[in-house]
Amino acid sequence: MADQILPTKDWPANAVPSDLIPPGRKRLGWAVMAAATLGLLATILVQILYKSEVDTIGFETWRPVVYAYVLWGVALGIGQVLTRGEDGQRALFLLPALLFTIAMVIFPTLFGFYIALTDWNLSSFSGRRFNGLDNFWQMLADPYYRNALFNMVLYVLAVLVEYVIAFGLALLLNAQIRARKFFRVVFLMPLMLSPVAVSWMVGKSLMEYRFGPAATLARHLGWENPAFFSDPIIARISIMVLDAWTFIPFMMIMLLAGLQAMSREILEAARVDGANAWQTFWQVTFPLMLPVSVTAVILRIIFKLKLADIIITVTSGGPGGATDSVSSFIYREYRDRSNVGYGTMLAMAYLVIIIVFVTWLLKFANRFVRNVN
Amino acid sequence: MRTGLYDKLVRAGATRRDILKGAASMAAIAAASGAGLGAFTRPASAASELRSKILQIPGVGKGQPTDADFQKVGELCLEATKANVKQGEFAGVELTFMGLNNQNLHNVLFRGFLKPWEAYTGAKISWIDLAQADYNARLQQSIATGTVDFDIIEMGAPFEGDVCGKGLTSEMPDWVKKQIDFDDLVNYLKPPVGTWDGKQYRVTIDGDTHNFNYRTDVFADADLAKQWKDGGGAGEWGVPKTWQQVQAVTKFLKGKKFKGQDVYGYLDAPKPWGGFGFYFLGSRATAYAKHPDDKAWLFDADTMKPRINNPAWVRAIQDVIDALPSEPADQINADPNTTGFQQFLAGTGSMIPWWGDIGSNVKTNDSSVIGDVTGFSILPGSDDVYNSKTGKWEKLASGPNYSPNCAYLGWGVYVMARVDKDEKKKKAAWSAAAHLGGKDLSIWTAMYPSGFQPYRNSHFDIPEWVAAGYDEAFITSYLKSEGDSYNHPNAAIEPRIPGIFQYYSAAEDILANTFAGKMKAQEGADAIAAAWEKLTDQIGREKQIKLYKASLGLA
Repeated sequence: MADQILPTKDWPANAVPSDLIPPGRKRLGWAVMAAATLGLLATILVQILYKSEVDTIGFETWRPVVYAYVLWGVALGIGQVLTRGEDGQRALFLLPALLFTIAMVIFPTLFGFYIALTDWNLSSFSGRRFNGLDNFWQMLADPYYRNALFNMVLYVLAVLVEYVIAFGLALLLNAQIRARKFFRVVFLMPLMLSPVAVSWMVGKSLMEYRFGPAATLARHLGWENPAFFSDPIIARISIMVLDAWTFIPFMMIMLLAGLQAMSREILEAARVDGANAWQTFWQVTFPLMLPVSVTAVILRIIFKLKLADIIITVTSGGPGGATDSVSSFIYREYRDRSNVGYGTMLAMAYLVIIIVFVTWLLKFANRFVRNVN
Repeated sequence: MRTGLYDKLVRAGATRRDILKGAASMAAIAAASGAGLGAFTRPASAASELRSKILQIPGVGKGQPTDADFQKVGELCLEATKANVKQGEFAGVELTFMGLNNQNLHNVLFRGFLKPWEAYTGAKISWIDLAQADYNARLQQSIATGTVDFDIIEMGAPFEGDVCGKGLTSEMPDWVKKQIDFDDLVNYLKPPVGTWDGKQYRVTIDGDTHNFNYRTDVFADADLAKQWKDGGGAGEWGVPKTWQQVQAVTKFLKGKKFKGQDVYGYLDAPKPWGGFGFYFLGSRATAYAKHPDDKAWLFDADTMKPRINNPAWVRAIQDVIDALPSEPADQINADPNTTGFQQFLAGTGSMIPWWGDIGSNVKTNDSSVIGDVTGFSILPGSDDVYNSKTGKWEKLASGPNYSPNCAYLGWGVYVMARVDKDEKKKKAAWSAAAHLGGKDLSIWTAMYPSGFQPYRNSHFDIPEWVAAGYDEAFITSYLKSEGDSYNHPNAAIEPRIPGIFQYYSAAEDILANTFAGKMKAQEGADAIAAAWEKLTDQIGREKQIKLYKASLGLA
């Protein structure tokens, strides 16, 4: 309120409340920001035209655009203080994060969408050429991409099995068993290893067809040709097992934390009421653990959607794309075929799919927890 | 002149005119005998003394060489550098070298070879190591984004279109040509290989061809011979000479035992390998697809229309599909590294095509169990060959059609143009490259596990290999397979066109699906052809036609 505000002369030079800023100063602030914004946009436009060989005026490198961006940031800060006074000063603290987010998230995303609309192959003499929605139509018709998406559905469904195992292990480690600390450390060890190391140790050595101990054991058990990665179904399951072996400890530790945070009194009350262990689990423990379970499952699904390293190391997506994840497929499109335009379209489409899917998942999970509780 | 000697001279790279000219015939004979007449004015005895000395490090059959051995060899081969560079001349110069670390070879050896060079010249080298499957992507990204962050690169001739064609490499100075004895290269590695627009860019450190590696004990086994005969096998039991025989032998060996172990025939490499795996289908296809009257075999030279879906290639793809059930159960997941180093050297399988690394590893690699039972020949032929011009299969009057697959044309060391503006740095980079491509050092890399195979006329001196510890019959077989492939009149030559590895990689992925039974051979081949057509349009058809013709010598 104006009548509660101290006289202007008692305020430091820039720390003026927003509603006491003189119009002239505001206009100057807007002018500074507008000039810097126009300068930045002009620099970008000139550089794009130059690099696209539409115009001959421009810079050899993109460095001047970076300088223009930094200047724009500074002008934005000055403009905020001039136009908003005290509020503008507070906004200055957000400015580094804003500039960083624009440079590292917003710009790459927008640039990625632009690249997805180009026919860019790294060997092409003509560089990047805009080709509209060609990549999009190609993606819709691409059976290998569809196959990778289908595999992702299976991989994501495998999380439910992982959850059951993780919950079982968490209950075990929560119980008063011998050497509990030792087992906690042992069960956590796979999480400490790099998935690539796990792929080599387990996928390429332990499960190796000729000399691997797992294959030898399988032969003793009557499986004549224990080739874990040759049959499409078995190969998929083998990849799921490798991935689960690495990440089940992650879910287990979250669930264990949830179990340990649970009130002992509730469990004791259930026992006093005559509930057996089975009833206690289903009617007390499981419902109370649902929020933690949902968090663990959703986080694990998000990790799963990025699954690539194990597949690239062990099978390269084979046999015949049977184990391909979307990430490993996109990786090959970039790495082996240098097909940046189409690869980016695949990546952007996958980003959209993930955003939609995770948003739905969160809503569904919230509703589910509410209904159960 | 005896025809045998004449043939030997021609194989060693001498032309008919050389032999008929008096003075030149001396050079030809010298080349064939391995003495060479390089510009290097060292007494021959000193040269051969040095070579004998380095070839005893660590000694054939005395375990795998270590970094200390690489350094010793590098130290002993420094004389050529000292003739052109003063001690400490490159003090303060820092170079970056990008190359492979595949199989713990390539860069791993270069580091050792160049340590004494660094100590002598004062230069310092930083290393960028790449896995084979990552090589193409890393290189293409550097080129496309203008972020060439290396001064020297180990690179294969197929990439010359991408790199030299874009003006990114430094032209070889004359003193380097003299230092490395450029004229000693085998003919097929001489220009235009290593050149672009008539300028020489490459220090060759390797020659490349796929030869045929087989198990002599398997094909000399009386018990298997009897079973072959009893089973109605065609002809005598022995090393297959054609792909038709390879198929028959592979199917026959399924389920058989040899020395108490499962025995397998041919080993295919269906798993993608960063584009390099396509060469292995190529080796199955060349005898079917490369007609003696037509230099082109991958594309039509006038239109760049792919030939990958013609009956010859489809037959090769079908051969793999037919053979896989007779190969080890997990073969669908084998890439060439697996077939060469984890299977064949370890005693699994009796036939594989590979670059010469198998030959230089069977006797010297610690993991090899087949040192005394390996034989070599050029790739098998075919009873008939497809004529793309007439669209018909033909039987040649001369017998089966042979066409060695000169895949990749070997590794070379290239200096990047970014050093050109600094004379001292430029000389240092070229000196390092010349050291790695030196004549004496090269005989060591040809004999020991290095990733490289013979590429000079002087590498074909059998007594020198025998003196180093190689068995004469073994090495004669090996070198003959290499030399006969290099000099074969119907060799299938690698096309040096931009983006060639994108073509290969696109094919690999589709082939992996085809071999896994997701589509028929013809469908897979058609899908590859469609992908290749798209790629050609993306890269630029007219330019590709021009460069493809040039690579075939048709321009």
